[in-house]
Amino acid sequence: MSLGLLIVCSLSLGVAAWLFFLWSVRSGQYEDPEGPKYRMLEEDDEPRREDPTARQERDAKL
Amino acid sequence: MAEPVPAPPGTAPLACDHCLAPVDAREAVRDALGGGPRVFCCAGCRGAYRLIHDEGLARYYAERRWTEPGPAAPAALELGAFEAAVREAGGEAELTLTVEGIRCASCVWLVERLLARTPGVREARVNYATHRARVRFDPARAELRTILERLRTAGYAPRPWSDSARRAAARAEVKDLLVRFGTAAFLVSQLMIYQSALYAGYFQGIDAGARRLMEWISLGLTLPVFLYSGAPFLRATARALRGGALGMDALVVAGSGAALAMSAWGMLRGGEVYFDTAAMIPTLVLAGRLLEAAARGRASDVVARLAALQPAEACRLVAGADGARARERVPVGALAPGDRIEIVPGERLPADGVVVEGRSEVDEALVTGEPAPVEKGPGSPVVGGTVNRFGALVVEVVRVGEATVLAGIVRAVEEAQARKPRVQTFADRVVAFFVPALLALAAATAAGWLATGASAERALLVGISVVVIACPCALGLATPIAVLVATGRAGARGILLRGGDVLERAARVTDAVLDKTGTLTRGRPAVAEIVPLDAARTPAELLALAAAAEGRSEHALGAAVREAARALPGPRGEAEEFQAVPGRGVVARVGGAAVLVGNRALLAAHAVALPAEAEASAAEREARGDTVVFVARAGRPEGLLVLSDPLRPEAGAAVAALRALGLAPRVLSGDAARTTAAVARRLDLPHGAEATPVAKRDEVARLQAGGRRVLFAGDGLNDAPALTLADVGVAIGRGPDVTLESADAVLVRDDLGLLPELVRGARRATAVIRQNVFWAFFYNAVAIPLAVAGWLHPIVAAAAMAASSLFVVGNSMRLRS
Repeated sequence: MSLGLLIVCSLSLGVAAWLFFLWSVRSGQYEDPEGPKYRMLEEDDEPRREDPTARQERDAKL
Repeated sequence: MAEPVPAPPGTAPLACDHCLAPVDAREAVRDALGGGPRVFCCAGCRGAYRLIHDEGLARYYAERRWTEPGPAAPAALELGAFEAAVREAGGEAELTLTVEGIRCASCVWLVERLLARTPGVREARVNYATHRARVRFDPARAELRTILERLRTAGYAPRPWSDSARRAAARAEVKDLLVRFGTAAFLVSQLMIYQSALYAGYFQGIDAGARRLMEWISLGLTLPVFLYSGAPFLRATARALRGGALGMDALVVAGSGAALAMSAWGMLRGGEVYFDTAAMIPTLVLAGRLLEAAARGRASDVVARLAALQPAEACRLVAGADGARARERVPVGALAPGDRIEIVPGERLPADGVVVEGRSEVDEALVTGEPAPVEKGPGSPVVGGTVNRFGALVVEVVRVGEATVLAGIVRAVEEAQARKPRVQTFADRVVAFFVPALLALAAATAAGWLATGASAERALLVGISVVVIACPCALGLATPIAVLVATGRAGARGILLRGGDVLERAARVTDAVLDKTGTLTRGRPAVAEIVPLDAARTPAELLALAAAAEGRSEHALGAAVREAARALPGPRGEAEEFQAVPGRGVVARVGGAAVLVGNRALLAAHAVALPAEAEASAAEREARGDTVVFVARAGRPEGLLVLSDPLRPEAGAAVAALRALGLAPRVLSGDAARTTAAVARRLDLPHGAEATPVAKRDEVARLQAGGRRVLFAGDGLNDAPALTLADVGVAIGRGPDVTLESADAVLVRDDLGLLPELVRGARRATAVIRQNVFWAFFYNAVAIPLAVAGWLHPIVAAAAMAASSLFVVGNSMRLRS
């Protein structure tokens, strides 16, 4: 019966979302609501890059 | 390695390249770093700048957004206190600490990178809101000291993270509420699908089998919301039933339970089902509770951060085997009477005692309210919590732990807490009246239907339907969402609030009692007047001379003289043979002549006689409560400098604004009567002086007994009991632990103008809360006649629910502007 199938589908999707929510609470995802909006703007700086002023300094010495 | 660069001529305004504090060109530390000449206010800032450049993190300077300049002034590291903060797990160590000195998002970025680039550190995360850092490192490759020293070099002060039992419980409560609310939200979202299908079926017709199936699924989804997510309401209602007073929890259980019972009856007897109402009521009220708990938790976290400034360790002197003295760092709790401890300048005293060695001046402003530092020498009693300003002291401990003056103040705070009545919030008061009224109306309806000949079953059903429709689920949101918006806005302005009841109490205060030192005044002395004795000398010359002699003084008065001289043009004289005489002043050689700057005792010791006119004008100023410093050059008195603790520039406007709001302001100080009177006169305020911490609390209690509602603003330990007992206690700036913890609101920004703003904001928020509560009931109340008449449709229940909730949220958002 297709109605039953749809109900099972929607319930299992919902349960999956609920389990994901429980996991996120447990792993501390809600402890720093301020942080992500700033971290989003940060560049990924690994591996370590040389900053431009340090390079200028070295060039000046050469 | 860069060499120090000589100072260029000119005295253009300079700012430290690291901390942005204004730097006097004559005092600047200069260096060539990062590809150009740099200016720093101190060697510490230069070290921080160098470290940040060497690590390739110079981008920090371009991206930071500081609202206040100034160095973070890292204190001495108390390594022992951190050892308890390290947890070992699977060959890795995890350190939890609070980083003081973080001012913007870029600081968090910098601290994380600095930590992550320490060899041996695996991961470092800093919480933006609480400034708590978690560092995971390999104990074999990284030492605790190295990690902490790097932070300190960059200008941040690491502190051990301490989590009080109360805060830990509050955090656990937020987490519990979050899981209950999240679960309820998931179930309700699923429930809405089936409920929508049933609504559609109500209008268009639906296959009986499909309807039955959806009703069963709806029941299955609603029961966990009622039993699990609603468990806190069920428990609280059970308690309230035993206690006899029904509140918000009872309303939730009554409304949700009645809707559930009606739906179950509907399934059995072929009526309509109201599962969405049954599930929505506890869900929305939980959302409100969660918002409120989170807002309260955030305020507590920030206060915890401010409060982590107390010394955790003391330096105990022990006799070594060879009779020499050795120093050991011990936790403050390990001190016992009879121990000798050393306190270096800038440190807080860890316990009460008597000075045995050394001379210094101790800043007791936080404890007694007296702004001028108090001279201490062998035999002087000292009080724990005060700050040693000047020279190293050796103190014999007399009282520790519960016996100290500080502990006595803490006890007074606890007593005041016990005495302070818990004020019911507006929503609570409404509900306390509404629940019995609702139940009476439901009973009357059922009785009316019975009397007009309906069956018992039909009468009961109509009675229950009255409860279902009258119960506004938006009521749970009415207060918390307004509180959330209002506290968020206050927080952005620099006012931390601890919950919605503070707003309601702040809106109703009638009297404002203000502490003097640090609240109405700056809390530190400044040069108020310069009186040359020789007509040939200008006041500027006299000030320049005194400032030159005080050039290296660490004394508060010396710093005030230098601060005043900073505005003078021209080069400053250099002092030679500088010598500080504790309790008297300074002696130095400026331009070849011996210069004395200090009190009468200093002049007398150097056989300098004061002319009678100078003595008279000094006595007159001292009678006003000001401090007079004498300046003499080459054995001749040159003039007087008058120093006083100045009023804050915004004090007059703030007091006027409080009056305009209809409040009666007054001054209550622990300071001497004459200085308090001088301040009170300038602001035209009634005043009380020389009040002990308990006397301040009693004054608040006396006003309250007269029916007044009191706002108390203060910053010292001596204010803590009064802050607690007052209807609204406002702590200003960075007070000590007890003060901040005992306040209902904390002004993070050092601005007295925030006080009237707090009251104004609270009045607006309270008005919105009242509107919210009214409108939460309004739509439901309109539908009550339909329920009484027995015409309750599920669509009416759903519409009333949605309309009231939307209105409450929208109305609260107005507080953002």
